[in-house]
Amino acid sequence: MNANEFDVIIIGGGITGAGTQRDCAMRGLRTLLIERSDIATGATGRNHGLLHSGARYAVNDPESAQECIRENMILRRIASHCIDETDGLFITLPEDDLAYQQTFVDACRNAGISAEIIDPDLARRMEPSVNPDLIGAVKVPDGSVDPFRLCAANMLDAKMHGGQVRLHTEVTGFIKEGDTIKGVHTRNRQTGEEVDYYAPVTVNACGIWGQHIAEMAGVKVGMFPAKGALLIFAHRVNNLVINRCRKPSNADILVPGDTVCIIGTTSTRIPFEECDTVAVTPDEVTLLITEGAKLAPSLSSTRILRAYAGVRPLVSADDDPTGRNISRGIVCLDHETRDGLKGFITITGGKLMTYRLMAEIATDAVCRKLGVEKACQTADIPLPGSEEQSYEAVAQKIWESPTTAQKAAAARMGTRAARIRTGDKRDDALICECEEVSVGEIKAAIDRLEVSTLTDLRRRTRVGMGTCQGEFCACRAAGLLVKAHGCVERERADLEDFLQERWKGNFPIGWGDTLREAEYTQWVYKLVLGL
Amino acid sequence: MRFDTVIIGGGLTGMLAGITLQKAGQKTAIISTGQNALHFFSGSFESIKEPSQRIVELFAEAGVRLHYSPGVRLLPLGTFKESALALEDVDIFPTPKFARKVLIVNFSGYHDFFTSFLADGLEKQGMTCRLRFLSLPELETLQQSPSEMRSVQIARVMDRVWEKVVQEVRVLLKDEDAVVLPQVFGLQDTSVPGRIRQGIPAHVVFAGTLPPSVPGIRTLILLKQRYQLLGGTYLMGDEVIRAHTHEGVVHSVATRNLDNHYIEAANFILSTGGYFSKGLISNPFQVLEPVFGLDVEYKEDRNQWYNPTFKEDQPYMHFGVKADENLHALKDGKPLENLFVAGSILGGNRPEFGFAAGQCIKTALFAADQILKK
Amino acid sequence: MKLQEYTSSRHNFEECMKCTVCTAYCPVLQANPLYPGPKQAGPDGERLRLKAPYFFNQALKYCLNCKRCEVACPSGVNVADLIQSARIKYDTTPPKLRDRMLASTDFMGSLARPVAPVVNAVTGLGVTKTVLDATLKIDRHREFPKYSSRSFERWLKRRRKEQTVFPEQVAYFHGCYVNYNYPQLGKDLVKVLNALGVGVQLLEKEKCCGIALITNGMSGQARKNANHNVAQLRQAVLDKGLKVLTTSSTCALTIRDEYPNLLGVDNADVRESVLLATRFIFEKLEKGASLKFKSGYHRKIAYHTPCHLERMGWGIFSEKLLQMIPGVEFTLLDSNCCGISGTYGFKKENYEVSQAIGEPLFAQIRSVNPEVVACDCETCKWQIEMSTGYTVMNPISILAEAIED
Repeated sequence: MNANEFDVIIIGGGITGAGTQRDCAMRGLRTLLIERSDIATGATGRNHGLLHSGARYAVNDPESAQECIRENMILRRIASHCIDETDGLFITLPEDDLAYQQTFVDACRNAGISAEIIDPDLARRMEPSVNPDLIGAVKVPDGSVDPFRLCAANMLDAKMHGGQVRLHTEVTGFIKEGDTIKGVHTRNRQTGEEVDYYAPVTVNACGIWGQHIAEMAGVKVGMFPAKGALLIFAHRVNNLVINRCRKPSNADILVPGDTVCIIGTTSTRIPFEECDTVAVTPDEVTLLITEGAKLAPSLSSTRILRAYAGVRPLVSADDDPTGRNISRGIVCLDHETRDGLKGFITITGGKLMTYRLMAEIATDAVCRKLGVEKACQTADIPLPGSEEQSYEAVAQKIWESPTTAQKAAAARMGTRAARIRTGDKRDDALICECEEVSVGEIKAAIDRLEVSTLTDLRRRTRVGMGTCQGEFCACRAAGLLVKAHGCVERERADLEDFLQERWKGNFPIGWGDTLREAEYTQWVYKLVLGL
Repeated sequence: MRFDTVIIGGGLTGMLAGITLQKAGQKTAIISTGQNALHFFSGSFESIKEPSQRIVELFAEAGVRLHYSPGVRLLPLGTFKESALALEDVDIFPTPKFARKVLIVNFSGYHDFFTSFLADGLEKQGMTCRLRFLSLPELETLQQSPSEMRSVQIARVMDRVWEKVVQEVRVLLKDEDAVVLPQVFGLQDTSVPGRIRQGIPAHVVFAGTLPPSVPGIRTLILLKQRYQLLGGTYLMGDEVIRAHTHEGVVHSVATRNLDNHYIEAANFILSTGGYFSKGLISNPFQVLEPVFGLDVEYKEDRNQWYNPTFKEDQPYMHFGVKADENLHALKDGKPLENLFVAGSILGGNRPEFGFAAGQCIKTALFAADQILKK
Repeated sequence: MKLQEYTSSRHNFEECMKCTVCTAYCPVLQANPLYPGPKQAGPDGERLRLKAPYFFNQALKYCLNCKRCEVACPSGVNVADLIQSARIKYDTTPPKLRDRMLASTDFMGSLARPVAPVVNAVTGLGVTKTVLDATLKIDRHREFPKYSSRSFERWLKRRRKEQTVFPEQVAYFHGCYVNYNYPQLGKDLVKVLNALGVGVQLLEKEKCCGIALITNGMSGQARKNANHNVAQLRQAVLDKGLKVLTTSSTCALTIRDEYPNLLGVDNADVRESVLLATRFIFEKLEKGASLKFKSGYHRKIAYHTPCHLERMGWGIFSEKLLQMIPGVEFTLLDSNCCGISGTYGFKKENYEVSQAIGEPLFAQIRSVNPEVVACDCETCKWQIEMSTGYTVMNPISILAEAIED
C-alpha cells in the first residue's frame, strides 16, 4: 500500500480532530491528521479551559448537562495530567435572585451533578478571593482543563498507535470520484510542498471552519460564528472556579488554570469572514473587568496578562437552514445519507468538554463505513502522561527531591516527565523562567509533539505564557529550534511572529505593569538584540 | 538634610548630572528606586552622531573609555546598526564585513548568546563562520543552577579565569581573522577585555547577550564610584513619595525610607526614566508623572497608544513629561523654576536631544549646565 | 472606584518585569548553586506556589534575607519578603534543636548570663567547638559571642534616677546583644545621649525582636514577641510620647518592617517613632544641638553599611555622623554583604558560603587597613572580626570615644 494511503483522513487539529484520530487509531485504523496551522488554534485553545461539571447548562439544556458530567468524570480518569480538580462555586450576589438557587440545584441533581448549597461564610473561607458580599453559594464538581495539553496528548497517543500528523498543512481541494471523496490535495504552508493523500473516509473536524471545508467538498454545513472574548490575569487569584448562579450571561465564569486565571466570556455574532481575524475590543475589555470584579473584587487591581477571543462553532440544526434554531449539542453528519456524498463525515458543534464523546460518535460512523467492528476504549485507557493520578506522585517517583521546575514539569507532562531526567545537567537549564520550562522539556516537545514554531512550542510547554510573555525565553527557545530545523532565516521570521502574537494579546490591555513589560520587551528586542 | 541639588533617578542621566554638578563644587544627592537601565545597555550611544570631547572626557574621568568612529555595530541577533560613539570594548566597523573568516565561541550551556543567529548574520555579509563551544571547569558550579548561567555570573568567573579563555581560543583558532565572544568580560576588572584582545592573534569582537549587560553594569559601577569619590550622596533603593512645592518652587521631597526626614535642595533634577522605571505610569485612562504630577504629553484615546504591529514604532514610547526650552518641568502649563527634567522621562518631546542613552547624556549635561548658570 | 485605575498591580510580585537585575546583586547566588536565586525563589516561584503549596522549594532556606534584591529591584518588588513569607507559609519542617538554640537569643542569654565566665570559657574551648560542630552542626570556626555577667538592663535600672533629670527622654530598645553580650554599647549610647541632654529609659519589658526566630522557622514565637514588643512600644510612644532608639540596624528593621510585612503584626501607629540611634543623633545635631569632641582625637575608620541598614536607607546617618567627628579619616566601604546574616553563618552547612560571600568585603578592609571598622550590626561585627582580625565598633561607641567625658 502507498505511503500516502490511509483508512481515514481527519481534517482539523483541534480537540475534536485529535480525539477522533486517537479513537480511530486505537481501533486499529491507519489515520492521518491534517491541520492548516497548529493543534488547538481554533476554539479548542480559545476558551476558558473550564472542566464543566455541566451545572452551567443544567437549567436550560439538561441533555448537555448530562453529557458534561459524564465526560467530566471520564476526563478525570483518562486525562489527569491535563486536569486540575478544583471544584467550583455558583455564587448568588445581592443583585441576583436567590430563588434561582433552588431551581439550579434541582436541575443539577436531575442531571446527575452533585450540587451542594453551602453557607456563604464557608464559601468565603474556601475561596478567599470570592466577592465577600455573596448571599448564596453552591459547590459543584467544576475544574479546569488545559486544552493544549489535552489536544497534544490525544495527538501523541494517536501517533503511538501508528497515526500520522501533518501540521501547517492545508487542504486545498478534495479528490473526488463521482459521488465519492477519495482523498485530499494538500499544501504545506511552511515549505509550499503539495501532496495528495488518499482514504476511503475523510472526517471534517474543523469547527467553525468546517463550513468552508464542507463547501470545498460540495456540501453545505451552516455554521453560526459567535465570538467570545476573555482576559487572562497574571496570577492565580482563585483556586475554585467561580460562576454566577443565574441565567448564563456575559463574563460570569472565572477559571483558575495553571499559573493564571481567566475571566470570560462575551458572546457576539460575527460574520463568517471575520473568523480568522477576531480581536478584543475596548468595550469587551471593560465589560470583562467590570463583571469579573463582581466575582472576585481583587481582579480590579490585578495585572492583566492578555486579552483574546475565540469563535464558538455553533451549528444550525439540520432541518432549519435559516439558522434560527442553533444547537449547542453535538452534530455528526454523514454526508452520504444527508447529501449523497460518500466517504465524508462532518463532526461539529459540541464543546471542549464533550470532545471525547464527539470523537467516539465520529469514529463509530467511520467504522460503520469501513465495516470495522471494534469497541471504543477512549473512556478507559489513560492518555499518555496520565497513568498516574497526581503530579506529586509523578515528581516524587522521578526525582528524589524535585525542584520547583521539576515539579512544574511533572504537572505539565505527567508521567512523560520521566523523559526529561536525562542525567545531563545542561538539560535542566531553564529556558522560560516564569513558567519554569527547561531545555529538556523543550527537547522532549520538539522530539515527539510536532513542534515547528515558537508558538507551537508555547502550546506544548507554556514557554512564553508567563508574565514576561516571552521577553527572555523566546530568543532562547529560538536558539533551540534552529538546532532542530537548521534554518536561521526561518527562525528569525518565527521569532518575529511569536512576538507579534504575544503583542496582539497584550496591547488591548496595555497599561500599568503590562505597558512597562511591553516597553522592556521593545528595548530587549529592538535596542539590545537587534531583531 | 540639605543639598544644593537633589537628583531623583539614579540611572545614566542622574549620575552624569550628579558628576557634573559635584565637579563644579555642588553638594548633591541622588535618590534611586533601585538599579537602572544601564543593566540593559547595548554599549553604544546610538543617537550621538557627532564627536564630543566633553562627553568622552566625562566618561574617561570615571574610568569608562569611549571611542568615536562612525560606522556599524554588530547586534546579538546578527544584524548591524549605525553607531558612532561606544564603549571601548564595543566595536564599530567601517562596513559590516569586518573580517574574512570568523570563529564564534560560546560557553557550553549558555543560552543567552545567539551563535547561530550571529553566524547567519555574518555569513550574509560574506564572512565564513565556525562555531565552537567552550567547557570550562570553572563554570561547572554555575551550570548546576538551572537559572543562573547568566552574563553577570559568568563575568564574575571570567574576571578570574579569562586567561583560560584566551588559551582555549588560541587552540581553537585556525585561519580565522576574527573571533566573536559573548560580552561577559571585564565586570570588575576593567582591563580584561583589552587583555583578551592582546592575547588572541585575531580581531576579537565582543557581541551582546541577553541582559543583564556586563558592559552596562561595569559602566554603572565606575560612574557611581566616580560620583561618590567626588563627594556625592547616593541613596540607593529609596523612592521619592512626595514633593513639597510652593508657588512654582520645589522646596523638599520626602522619601519612603526617610519618611518625615525631608530632603531639601535649591534645585532638583527629575530623571526617573520611562514606564519601566515608573518615571511615567499609566492606567486605562491616562499617562501620569507620579512624583510631581507634571504635565505629560500623551494621546487621550488609548487606541492611539499602540501600533498593533510589534515591530513598528510604538506611539506610547514617545509620550513624556513636558518641559520648556531650558528643560524646566511644566506643571499645569507653567514651568517650575528649580525643577529640571532629563533623560527618557522626556519621551519623544525633545527630539533635538536624541533618544535612549544619547538623550540621557545630552539632557543630563544640559540640565546640569542650567543649574550651574543660575 | 475606577477599575484598574491603579497603575500597577496591588499584588507586589506582579510588578516584577523579569529584568534579572536582582540576580546580579544576590550574594548567595555567587557562592551557592543550590540556591534558586531571588528571581526564581521570589516572584517566579510565587506564581507556582499560588497554584499549590507543593511547588514550594526547600532551597529557599539558603536565602540570607539580606534584602539586597529589594534594594536593587527597579520595580520595587519586595523580593526577600516574598521568599521569607513563603518559608513562613509553606515550610512545614520543624526547626532543628540547633536552630531553636541559635534563634532563642534572649532565652539563651538569660540562662548564660548568671554563669557567664563558665559559659564563655566553655564555648571558647576547642573541644566544645568540636562537639558543637559534630553534634549540633554549629561550625567550629565560629567564636560564640561572650556573655556578660551583668546585664545592661540591670546597669541602667540602677541609674534610673539620674536619667530622669534630663529634660528630654527617649526609650532604648537595647536588644539581646547589648543586654547579654556587650552592655558597653548601651553605656556608650547613654553617654552620648546624656551629652546631648537626653535621658535614656528602658521599655517596661522588651523581648528579642525575633529576627532569628523568623529565619529559623519559628515564626509563631516571633509573632508572639512582635505583639509583645509592639504593645511595649505603644506604651512608650503613644502613652509617654517617647522616641524609641536602637543601636542594632537589624532590630530596627525587624521592628519597623518585618513585623508588618512578614509577621502581619500592625505597627503603623509606632513605626515612625522607632529610630536607629545614629539617625536620632544626626537629626538633633542638624537642628542645632552640639557635642564637645576631644581635641587631638584621631581614627582611621572604614564604614561598612550592614545589609539591613542599606535596605532601610539609613546608612547615610551613620556615615554623616562619623564624618562630623573631627580627626576621623573616613572611608565608605563598597556595598557588600559580610556573609554572616545573623545565625545563618553559624550553621556548619553555610560556613563556606558565608565566608565566600564576605570575601570581597574582607579584601577591601584589608586593603584600606583602617584602625577600626565601623558598623551598626552586631553579627557583622562578629563576622568581620573573626574573618579579618580588625576591630569593629558601632558608630555610637566611636562617638562616645570621641566626645569629652
